[in-house]
Order: sequence, then C-alpha cells, then structure tokens
Amino acid sequence: MSIAEAEALELSIDAPGGLWAEAWHKLIRNPGAIIGAILVGGFVLTAIFAPLIAPDDPKAQNLDALNHGQPVGPSAEHWFGIDTLGRDEFSRIVYGTRYSLLIGVVAVVIGLSVGLLLGAIAGYVGGFVDSGIMRCMDVMLAIPGFLLAIGIVAMLGPGLGKIMIAVGVVNIPIFARLLRSSILAQKQNDFVLAAKAVGVRGRSILSAHILPNAISPVIVAATLAMATAIIDVAGLGFLGLGPQDPSTPEWGTMLTDANNYLSIAPFLAIIPGLAIVLSVLGFNLIGDGLRETLDPKLRGR
Amino acid sequence: MAFAKPSIPSSVADRGALLSVQDLRVEFWTSRGTIHAVNGISFDIAPGETLGIVGESGCGKSVTALALMGILPRAGRASTGTVLFDGRDLLKLSDKEMRDIRGREVAMIFQDPMTSLNPVLTIGRQLRESIETHFDMSKREAEDRAAELLDRVGIPSANQRLRDYPHQFSGGMRQRAMIAMALACKPKVLIADEPTTALDVTIQAQILNLLRELVAEENAALIMITHDLGVVAGMCERVHVMYAGMFMETGTTRQLFAKPRHPYTLGLLQSIPRLDAARKARLHPIEGAPRDMLHTPAACPFQPRCRFEVEASSQEVPPLEEIERGHNVACFNPVPEDEWQNLRKQVVAP
Repeated sequence: MSIAEAEALELSIDAPGGLWAEAWHKLIRNPGAIIGAILVGGFVLTAIFAPLIAPDDPKAQNLDALNHGQPVGPSAEHWFGIDTLGRDEFSRIVYGTRYSLLIGVVAVVIGLSVGLLLGAIAGYVGGFVDSGIMRCMDVMLAIPGFLLAIGIVAMLGPGLGKIMIAVGVVNIPIFARLLRSSILAQKQNDFVLAAKAVGVRGRSILSAHILPNAISPVIVAATLAMATAIIDVAGLGFLGLGPQDPSTPEWGTMLTDANNYLSIAPFLAIIPGLAIVLSVLGFNLIGDGLRETLDPKLRGR
Repeated sequence: MAFAKPSIPSSVADRGALLSVQDLRVEFWTSRGTIHAVNGISFDIAPGETLGIVGESGCGKSVTALALMGILPRAGRASTGTVLFDGRDLLKLSDKEMRDIRGREVAMIFQDPMTSLNPVLTIGRQLRESIETHFDMSKREAEDRAAELLDRVGIPSANQRLRDYPHQFSGGMRQRAMIAMALACKPKVLIADEPTTALDVTIQAQILNLLRELVAEENAALIMITHDLGVVAGMCERVHVMYAGMFMETGTTRQLFAKPRHPYTLGLLQSIPRLDAARKARLHPIEGAPRDMLHTPAACPFQPRCRFEVEASSQEVPPLEEIERGHNVACFNPVPEDEWQNLRKQVVAP
C-alpha cells in the first residue's frame, strides 16, 4: 500500500461532510441556538396558523365587555384581557405576529438584496466604483439608523409598506460594508488566483468561489438584523408612523394605544412588549449560534 | 567590447521553441513608486523539456509566472516584451482570448496546496470546473474525466474522493489534486511555482516523480520555479538563475552545478548545507539583502553583495553572454571555472 493510499484510508474514517453540513451539526448542538429556534419557530407557526389560534377577530370591537368603559385584565375567557375598545388582546397579539415577522423579513430582504449587490460590486470591481459606492454608504451610516428611518418615512409618508422600505434602506449600508470587506479578504485567496489560472470567467469566480466563502458573516448579520428590524418597526409604529388604520394589530401601534392606560391597564403595554422582546431574543440567539458556527475565526481547520 | 549573443540551447534548436519569452519586463505601481519586478528576461522552452528558474524570495520568479499566465494583480503590468506561444503574443491577447489559453494551453500549479483549493467546493466540483470551462462536456463526462485524473495522480478510490472537500485531503493529496486540475485539459506548457515548498520531504519526492512522469507522458514543457536547488538538480535539464528580475546565469543543470561562473550562483551553491561537510565547517550565506526594486538596475544588481566585483560592475549592467556552448553568464568578472570544485574540497570532511 502506497503512502497516499494509507492516507486516504486514514482520512476516510469518520470524515465529516462539507462546510455547511459541519456548521449544521455544530448548530444543532448549541443550546442558545435551539432556544432561539424554538422561539422563532413558535412565532412563525403562530403567524401561519393565526386564524386557527386566535379565538376572536382581532378587529372586532365588543364595547359591552368593557368594565365601565375601561379595559379588563386577563381572564379565563380573554387570556390577555381586552383592550380599550373591547378587542380580545390575545387575538391581536397572535395576528400581530404576522405583521411583525412580515415587516422584519421584508425589511431585511430589501436591505440584504440591495446591500449585497452594492457590496459585491464594490468589493469585486474595486477602484473608483468601490470608493464611490462606499462613500455613499458612509454618508448613510453617519446618520443614526432610526433617525434615517424616520426621515425616510417622513419623505414617503406613513404606512406599513413605507416603514418596511425605511427600515430596509437603513440596513443597506450595513450589509454592503460587511460583504465588501468579506469579499476583499476572500479575493486575496490563492484559490481565486488558481481559478483564474484555470481560465474561469470573472463572474463565475465571484459567484462560485468568492461569494460562498464571503457570505457567512452576512448570514449572521441578517439574522441579527431581523431582530433590529422588528424593534425599529415597532418603534416607528409607536411614533405613529406605522399602519394608519388604528385597528391594525401591529405590536408597536398597540403599545401606543396602551400608552394612556398604563396606570389602570399595564398589561396592555406589557404583553405586546413581551412579544417584541421574545421575538427579538429568538432571532438574536439564532444569530449568535450562527456566528459561533460560521465565524472563520472560530471555525477550526 | 563585442559580446557573443546568448546561444540557443540545443534542446530548443532540436525541437523548436514551444514558448518563447523575449525581453519581458514587469512593473508594479505602488504608493512608494514603480517597482521593477522583472527587468528584461528572455528564454525559450521546447516541448518535453523542463526548465528551472531559481532565485531567492522576491527576485521576480513568481511574478514571471503570473505574467506568463496573464494573471498579474491589478497594480502589475507586463510593460514590454513578447511571450510567443503558438505564433501568438500572449501579452497582446484580449481577456477573452487569454481565458481560453489559461488552463487549456498553459496551466499553473501553485505553491501552497492548503490555500489553493476552495474550502467550500468539493474536489470533484473544482476539477470539473477546469474541464467544463474549456470543453463542451456533459456533467457526466466531466465527472468521469475528473475521476480519471484523480486516479492518474495517484489518489485511490477516485470516484468517492471526488465528493470530498479539500479539508478531508492531506497536504500531499491536495497537491496531487492541484496537479490533476492543472493537467485537466492536457496543457502544452505547465508552470509549477514552488510546487513542493509547502510539503514535507517524503511527499516532495512523490510529487516531483509524478510531475516528471506526467510531463514525459504528455510531452509538455515544464517551467519549474523554485528556490530549492535540490529540486532543480533532480528535475531540470536547464536552469536559469534569477536575481533582481534578471537572469544572472543560464545553462544546463550539469554546467551550472559543476562549474558555476556567476558569483551569485556560486553563493547559492555555497549556502546549501551539506550532509558530508566536516563537522566544524560553517555555512556561507550570501551577505546583505536583495536590492531595492524601485529603480531599473543601472549597474550589476548583485554588485553590492559580490566579492568578485570589478570597476565595470558598478557602472553598467553586465549583458548575458555565452562563455561555453549553452552556458551564459551576466558578469564582468566570472568566477574561475574550477573555483566551486576547490571550495567543495575544502568543505567536505577528509
């Protein structure tokens, strides 16, 4: 048996799969990530099966249920109580999940797609294109994110779709910078030169060799950005820039409604607040777990 | 003074040049100024021949390889010269034309197999890529060819190993896979840039044997870039010694190792530790550091480190001239013919 054969035999014993398979194995052994996945999974299921879970129509008002015109606390019939207009708070939270997740996903997708495109171009093309794109990103980063979002909503006008765009735009420079720096680092790699030496086209080098290696920090950032997007959207909703129909069960808007009743019905603020905290926590835990498995600095050879 | 022109090596005269480099110069723009990495080198190589280019780090060996492949970094540029291959000047080809040549006609093996393979793609996928880039093959056919290649470079159970990722391969196996990739399209010229530097000695010998076999089989020309004179002695028919982006001495391996005439070549040979040296014998390193490459040399670039310097050394660049058939030296005061033999006798234990 030649040395190469012996090596092959030795290495084939208990050989793990590819990079992603390995990352997955590590991820499902990370308790934080599992808790995060359960939380997020729970919210996703709630959003999908909202009509089955919610006992009432979230917009149906039942003024008779009010106690002398005041909201009623949690009871066996209404788990999270009823709000100022006699709507079932539990149903509103359940339906609110749909809004929060949808807004978070759409906002991140907007930021991610534009940011990735700009970052990839800047990182791969380099030179003036790079400087041009990145200076624009720097200008956007110089303005505090939430303020920028408020500014954009002020420009576009309030509304559910508009705040998704606003939060998405705020995310663009974050992703662009991240991908650019990651691509710059990967571009120096010998295997990129080796691919060039084989005659591979520039575009395939970017898509097949550089991006798959550069994308993992972006995946982590996208998960964490979901959490921030939910907070930002709730914040914009709280400021009254969210959905203009007051009956929309959006968590941030619900917080605003509860504002005037804090002393007599604190649960109306605490419950949507908890929902926000738990969903954000879920995404953060998943993001941290992903970081641990995908971060090149923590990734073993 | 009339100089004899550098002679055409017999191998090239017999078989005809496959690749002919004339007066190649490579410059890099940096914030410190223009770096002159390669300063007018010329060489020919015939099919089936192995040519060694040796020199210390930073002398322009690897840059020469990248220039031949047309993959210099953005800041670099082949400013003058021609690289004739198959009747075409590679330096004047468009990006697209050059892409068709790269990998198909001229291929390269890199120094470090640990970093030259993409960690997120399977070996098979990377082998297929070089095949599919140049040939119109179905995935199936490319897969079969890839397995054949892996088998050819001595990796057992090739069909299964195609699905492996680079981290599942050892250093030696990765370099085998790199060689398989380079050979995928049966290139006519193979450039090996220090292919064994990152490997341990036992694996080095295997890889060198493999390269020798494959080159003989395909009748390809091999340009072996290395700083390891042992590798050169074992592999190459001819050797070009490079310093500061210029050839200092060229000739057959036998000529250079038996009768080095350039002080730099002598210095390189003297600095190799010998197993048969007397116990007290000291190594003789070349004193000083390589010259700053910010200016094109106006004098002999080796002059500041040379113990054979004469007045002319610091005034003009010595041209490469023939001193015996096939043996050229760029020096105003070549080392005496028997100097190395005498020095060697002193070193070897009685």
